Amino acid sequence: MNETRRGGSDRGFLLHAEPWRETSLLVDAWTRAHGRLWLVAKGAKRPHSALRSVLLPFQPLHLRWSGKGERLTLTGAEWLGGMPLLSGEALWCGYYLNELILRLAPREVPHPEWFDAYETAVRALAAGEPVAPVLRAFEWASLQATGHAPQWPETGPVAVPLSAEAYQAVAQGAWSAPIVAREVKPWLRALIDHCLEGRPLRTRAFMKEWVTNGKG
Amino acid sequence: MSQALNELIDALKRLPGLGPRSAQRLAHHLLNHDRAAAKRLARALARAAEVLVHCAECNTFSETPVCARCADPARDRSVVCVVETPADLEAFDAAHVFQGCYYVLMGRLSPLDGIGPKALGIEKLLARIARPEVKEVVLATNFTAEGEATAQWLAERIAAAVPTCTITRLARGVPVGGELEYADPATIAYAWHDRRVLTNQQS
Repeated sequence: MNETRRGGSDRGFLLHAEPWRETSLLVDAWTRAHGRLWLVAKGAKRPHSALRSVLLPFQPLHLRWSGKGERLTLTGAEWLGGMPLLSGEALWCGYYLNELILRLAPREVPHPEWFDAYETAVRALAAGEPVAPVLRAFEWASLQATGHAPQWPETGPVAVPLSAEAYQAVAQGAWSAPIVAREVKPWLRALIDHCLEGRPLRTRAFMKEWVTNGKG
Repeated sequence: MSQALNELIDALKRLPGLGPRSAQRLAHHLLNHDRAAAKRLARALARAAEVLVHCAECNTFSETPVCARCADPARDRSVVCVVETPADLEAFDAAHVFQGCYYVLMGRLSPLDGIGPKALGIEKLLARIARPEVKEVVLATNFTAEGEATAQWLAERIAAAVPTCTITRLARGVPVGGELEYADPATIAYAWHDRRVLTNQQS
């Protein structure tokens, strides 16, 4: 990896954080111009840490970092705000978006368009829009960003056929069209499963459990 | 390296946050500098692992089938406060405002880490809440992303399973003695989301 000392700052979101040592967090952040970054938030678990209340997922932040190697040090995080908290179904969908990025985006490869698609999706979820079109649009954006989006009539490396009408909906971004739920959803899912090389998505299993147990 | 030392380091490595190097450092410290502490730790660990069970009522660690707090007849059985860990329970109890009963989840949901509802053992909680004397459940999971997810998931499940029960969530806001000038923007944002009505005048 890059061993020269580097610093930077960018608009970003926290994707995932896990405890690290006694008082710190290891943060996976999604930034607009620098892609997915691995940051150590030193002391972020201390009671009076300024980072503690800011490092939350699904909220736009301004992140600053420095360091060398693969794991950089988070030197600051500012709350940009303006977005309501995700709740209920939208919250589980948000976790699904985060897992797609964590699994499909290599570290430190800039994907500004994919980032914008993510922010658009999180804003739509926060605004309480119907979740299915938001998820389909983001799945397609993820496939395009990673170079896995096939051009019709080619259907890609999956055996799920796609009609001309369905591809039209995809090409026009008509994610609320009835054909999307029927035809495009399983096609996108098969393509994403192909990208993941058969390793299941944790949030998908989680949502399945939520639907069968919780909502009945 | 000796097999006994290897086994000790391997055992220490299973503790959260301890990598191979830290585990080795701790093992060397215990054996080299503090043999008495090592023996004490071994005894305490063996005893705790032997005698501690989960309280049948509140799920926290207890030496008796029902812990002393749950056995206390002065506790209000109509309210159950749900917290993530025994440490959260102690912190809540130290506020001396709550005379009801507790339930300790011993964890929280974490979708990205694969900790789903099954791992959390929700059935025991639902059975506890389904008792006729329970009128209110207070969700006091942490105000982290996972704590919030856990609270929302529990609210849905409890509402579906025990419709007669009132479900409440701890309020979130500016800390006591805190001045807005010094509060962080995220806290102020949440305080605004959770603001409450003081007067409700109709013209």
